[in-house]
Amino acid sequence: MELPGPFPVGRYAKTLRDELRKRARVQLIGEVTGLRQTPKQSYFELRDSEGAVPCTIWANELEQLKLPDGALRDGAEFVAGGGPDYFIGSQASSPGFSFRVTQLRLAGEGDLLARLDALRKQLQVEGLFELQPQLVRPLLPKAIGVVTAETGAARRDLLAGLERRGWRGTVVWAFAPVQDRHAAPAITDAIQGLAAQPQVEAIVVTRGGGSLADLWAFCDETLCRTVAMLRVPVISAVGHERDSTLIDDVAAVACSTPTHAAEAAVPLDCIAARGSLERSAGSLRRAAEGAVPTRTPHLVSLARGPARALRREQLALNQKTREIRAASERGITERLGFQRRLATVVLERARRRAVGPDMERRREALHRAAVALRAHQPERTLERGYALVEAGDGEPVTSADAAVAAERVRLRFADGSVGARIEERE
Amino acid sequence: MTEKPDSYEVAVERLEQIIDRLDSGQAGLRETLDLCGEGRELVTYCAAELDAVGEGLKELKLDELATKLASSAEAGAT
Repeated sequence: MELPGPFPVGRYAKTLRDELRKRARVQLIGEVTGLRQTPKQSYFELRDSEGAVPCTIWANELEQLKLPDGALRDGAEFVAGGGPDYFIGSQASSPGFSFRVTQLRLAGEGDLLARLDALRKQLQVEGLFELQPQLVRPLLPKAIGVVTAETGAARRDLLAGLERRGWRGTVVWAFAPVQDRHAAPAITDAIQGLAAQPQVEAIVVTRGGGSLADLWAFCDETLCRTVAMLRVPVISAVGHERDSTLIDDVAAVACSTPTHAAEAAVPLDCIAARGSLERSAGSLRRAAEGAVPTRTPHLVSLARGPARALRREQLALNQKTREIRAASERGITERLGFQRRLATVVLERARRRAVGPDMERRREALHRAAVALRAHQPERTLERGYALVEAGDGEPVTSADAAVAAERVRLRFADGSVGARIEERE
Repeated sequence: MTEKPDSYEVAVERLEQIIDRLDSGQAGLRETLDLCGEGRELVTYCAAELDAVGEGLKELKLDELATKLASSAEAGAT
């Protein structure tokens, strides 16, 4: 297809300029760089990590803005209001595009916070805040990488923090500018360089405190996306507690100071761990040394078990014997008592029987028997006139021959005895 | 212990289990002696990990590390 034209270039340049001037007037925010001032105009670039726009401002307009002395300088963060323009060139100067600035002011916290907020929301929606915190951080890394300024308190503080933990690993430094438009790409490169080293198990990114503009490199989108996607845990310690940069949101851990970052990078307090290890070694030593001695008394006790059991049984047996004997004696006494009580009852019953209704009759029979008995007594016979012959020894002489033989006898009468001599047998 | 622990964390966790078991007084003689042996090896391993570098904290610049790695790779290749 054949293109329209050809058109005279001057007319085309004017058309281009007119078209550009129709575009909406806007405000841009970025870092001033390449500032060059002439009596008529000031030239500079407004730049961030993604790109830049050439800007021009008329000297008289700049003067009317009454910016503080030296405020417009390279590296300063500015908000420029205006619109695109095209200089069609002249006999003495070349044509060129520029952003014609009519308003210019130092970027404030508000401008930066608004940009930060929008970027934060964007990364959060993409889930980039959730990746790093899921990475496992080793308790005792052998090597950690650190991105920081070569000179500065952050480096010194971090090193002091690591030494306080008694850590004896390797710190791999990747120094980078931490505050200008070169900072964000340099920090990104440093982080990627450290992550490429297999020894590096965690990366610390740190710098001291400052304004949000000072810390702006750590809100860089490319840098933050790189950190979020890294497979090595990143610990950020940028600024102080109140300075919240975007890298804090995407990092595995955000710390308020380099000292805290040292503790996060080496979670194990090596000094305390050595103490704990010594105590463990002591426990093991005591357990090993005491393994046999602590069991010996028990073994001895077990060995003595049978004899002790026998003695215990013997004692129990003796006790039982004593108890049985005591019980037996107690039984005999009780039985004797019982028998006595029984005899008493029987005798009492017999006595009662004896003194019953037959008593009188028995007494009479007894009397009769006594009378009958008395009738048979020799005294009764003597009373009736008989005499009893007794030998000298008192034995009765019951025959004549015995009387002759005895020669002397006694004659016993009822009222007494007399001696007699046997003279002859008749 | 016949195998080297996977990491310091694993070794410390096992060591704590061993100490707890020994402190409980429930381990028999054979188990006690086995645990003491395993524990001693773990203590040695953990102490070596804590002293991984040896003399103390070592500092290295990233480009120095990269150069060192490149030269050792070359030495390995030849």
